[in-house]
Amino acid sequence: MQGLKRWPSWVVLVLAVAGLLAYGSTKDAGARTPEERVEEISKRLACPICDGESVYESQNPSSAAIRAAIRTYVAEGEASDDQIVASVVEAFGAETQLVPKATGFEALVWALPAAALVCASVGLFVAFRRWKAAADTIPDDDDRALVDAALAGDVLAGDEDPSK
Amino acid sequence: MSEVRRARVAPIVVLVVAALMGGMLWVLASGDGGDDAEAGIIDSHLLDRAAPEVRSSLLDGGSFELSRRKGSWVVLNFFNSTCVPCRAEHPELVKFVEQQASLGPLGAEFYTVVQIGDDLDEVRRFFDERGGDWPVLTDENGEVFVDFGVAQVPETFIIDPNGVVRVRWAGVIDAVTLAQLVQQLRNATGL
Repeated sequence: MQGLKRWPSWVVLVLAVAGLLAYGSTKDAGARTPEERVEEISKRLACPICDGESVYESQNPSSAAIRAAIRTYVAEGEASDDQIVASVVEAFGAETQLVPKATGFEALVWALPAAALVCASVGLFVAFRRWKAAADTIPDDDDRALVDAALAGDVLAGDEDPSK
Repeated sequence: MSEVRRARVAPIVVLVVAALMGGMLWVLASGDGGDDAEAGIIDSHLLDRAAPEVRSSLLDGGSFELSRRKGSWVVLNFFNSTCVPCRAEHPELVKFVEQQASLGPLGAEFYTVVQIGDDLDEVRRFFDERGGDWPVLTDENGEVFVDFGVAQVPETFIIDPNGVVRVRWAGVIDAVTLAQLVQQLRNATGL
């Protein structure tokens, strides 16, 4: 416990986050019912003609048709979730894909925030080092003379006690 | 960082930030608003490709399979009885079907596909009142609309005798335009 206390808190935090992320990303969600699959897939798709709603939420007939079609595809059991999403996106256009792909131009959506985070971290690191260096002033001759005088008792002895 | 170096780097940083912001503005400005209500031929992932398999029930009983219509020009009209443009378009479709019937076996076959959620009794009443005795397909599992990528009605697809999608028309179409399109495709493909 004493050893752990010596660790910088941010190292502990990073390890905890990494561990939780690893657990979360590899955790098996378990078997899903067909209705759960329909729900998950329809949440990944945007309503083709209404702004800001997923197919899961929208009451528009086109979204109802997509939900019904997803239900049929799931019941047929031949296509994966990704394949179903891809077929709907192909039919209605890329705008219907709520979660951007991790390849091609759309990958920028994922890459840019990560790049910004790295740049910001590096920038902060550099700034902190610079500030620390600025704070660590090297004593000059005047400082040394002042310290010497203080050690000799000239300064401290001359100070009056403010409580008096 | 020295003052001189800082003075050199600052304009570059400003330029990079300005370029990024300009790029984002350009993407926003050139984006498709997605609200194009004008009727006309539009792109489709199906153009010049085999039409999706359509197996459906007919409104008045029986079944329909698109693949069995090969050998004929087929026009699929996507419809909802509550849609105002669909109602406006209907008399033109009646004229088109009559005109194609006058061509005998060479005439295009015409089918209406009813959008999911539409009241089928209302659809029957609609056709009884406004005419149109062509087959009407239901799409209770949404597959026909989704396979053709139809989000808004009315839309019309023209499929050639080989089962290849040739035209996708969004919005209201009139009888003359539709007949001309079919004829132009006949001439162009020799089918």
